[in-house]
Amino acid sequence: MILKMLFRRRVVLLLLVLMPVVFLSVVELTASAKMILFRLASLEKMVFIEESQKQISLVFFSVTSTGFLVSFLALNLIQIDSNVNRRLVICGYHPFELLVSNLLALLLVILFIAIYIALLINLFFTVRHLPLYIFGLVLIGFVYGCYGLAIGSLVKGKLEGVFFIVLLANIDAGWLQNPMYYAEAQNNIIIRYLPAYYPSQSAIIAAFTDYSGANACFFSILYGSGFLILSLLVFYNKMRIKK
Amino acid sequence: MILKVEHIEKAFGKNKVLKDVSMEMNSASLYGIVGENGSGKSTLLKIIVGEWRPDHGKISVNGLLGYCPQETLLFALLTVDEHFRYFAEAYGTDKSELLRRGESLMNYFKFTKFRNERIANLSGGTKQKLSLAIALLHQPQLLILDEPYTGFDWDTYLLFWELTDKLRQAGCAILVVTHMLTEKKRFDRIFNLEQGLLS
Repeated sequence: MILKMLFRRRVVLLLLVLMPVVFLSVVELTASAKMILFRLASLEKMVFIEESQKQISLVFFSVTSTGFLVSFLALNLIQIDSNVNRRLVICGYHPFELLVSNLLALLLVILFIAIYIALLINLFFTVRHLPLYIFGLVLIGFVYGCYGLAIGSLVKGKLEGVFFIVLLANIDAGWLQNPMYYAEAQNNIIIRYLPAYYPSQSAIIAAFTDYSGANACFFSILYGSGFLILSLLVFYNKMRIKK
Repeated sequence: MILKVEHIEKAFGKNKVLKDVSMEMNSASLYGIVGENGSGKSTLLKIIVGEWRPDHGKISVNGLLGYCPQETLLFALLTVDEHFRYFAEAYGTDKSELLRRGESLMNYFKFTKFRNERIANLSGGTKQKLSLAIALLHQPQLLILDEPYTGFDWDTYLLFWELTDKLRQAGCAILVVTHMLTEKKRFDRIFNLEQGLLS
């Protein structure tokens, strides 16, 4: 039913398809071919790679757009019909069932967005390990999707929720994780603890190198699971029958 | 006794909405609670159904509960039929039986022709009929109705009261909460909720 409701919002679907095209096209039109040397921060060894600004930016913006889209979608999924969901709980559903069904619907959408964006980026250049790169996008979707669920569970107001998403997604996925910024950043320990760090690293490693991104994948799942547990607890506490 | 409300108190900040509210209901009865807007009627119902926790006091419900809230809480993008399927799943008992009952409630309240229509396209009255039908789907033993006939046309209003008579005869306890009570002679008891106190 959740997917059915989502698929009936045609403008939302249209924007889901359109936004990555716009993001990546703008990068393609504006980024230069200048070669940039940067360090793969999440690897234990000191590994430096040299890629064009355009390719780095394309990979970075693919991660950013996946994170943005999924977090807003998750926020909306959890907030939009919360009162009706409460009625379903009064009628017998367990709050966990509702949250898990939202999460499953979200995971399907994440998979679709990740595959779609990965195929789209292949129109601009060929990433080295496509399946792993898709997995990197799924991870940013998982982390930011769970962040969206957590914010949607914590905050009642729509605008407040949007601001919370913008606050983190904008500065983290949309700025600090850009490898060109990160390479020269000071106090980059701060950047390492932000939620988009490991998923971004995992996508970058898969897109440009043959190194293993297992470590980045593990910490991405860990981060996303933290947000998921938070959202489960808050959602359960809000929705449960109080006697 | 199907419902026992004992010494319920609820405050929002410094505003004490309910002050030591107690009541009891037996099967096969029709009770009403009247009160002005903002008197705490919906708050009391939300506490009875478990949506909110009271600051003090205890609620005991001994039977299946059906609840029709004041707002028609429905999914704008789902159809009438899809609502019956979704809520039948939530009630968790014999789904096919619940769907048959949904079918008969649609017939009774005469909105079968809208079964494939999305809620966003329905009138307020039809939404209210569906909301009531959902509350009745699992044949509850205690039915709690918050302003149930708002938006009903005259025929539906009469059908509503006819249905409450049938339900009461079948043993259902019905609690109607409204700011404007009509059909007073139908009720076994009417409470007045004023300044947080039930009299």
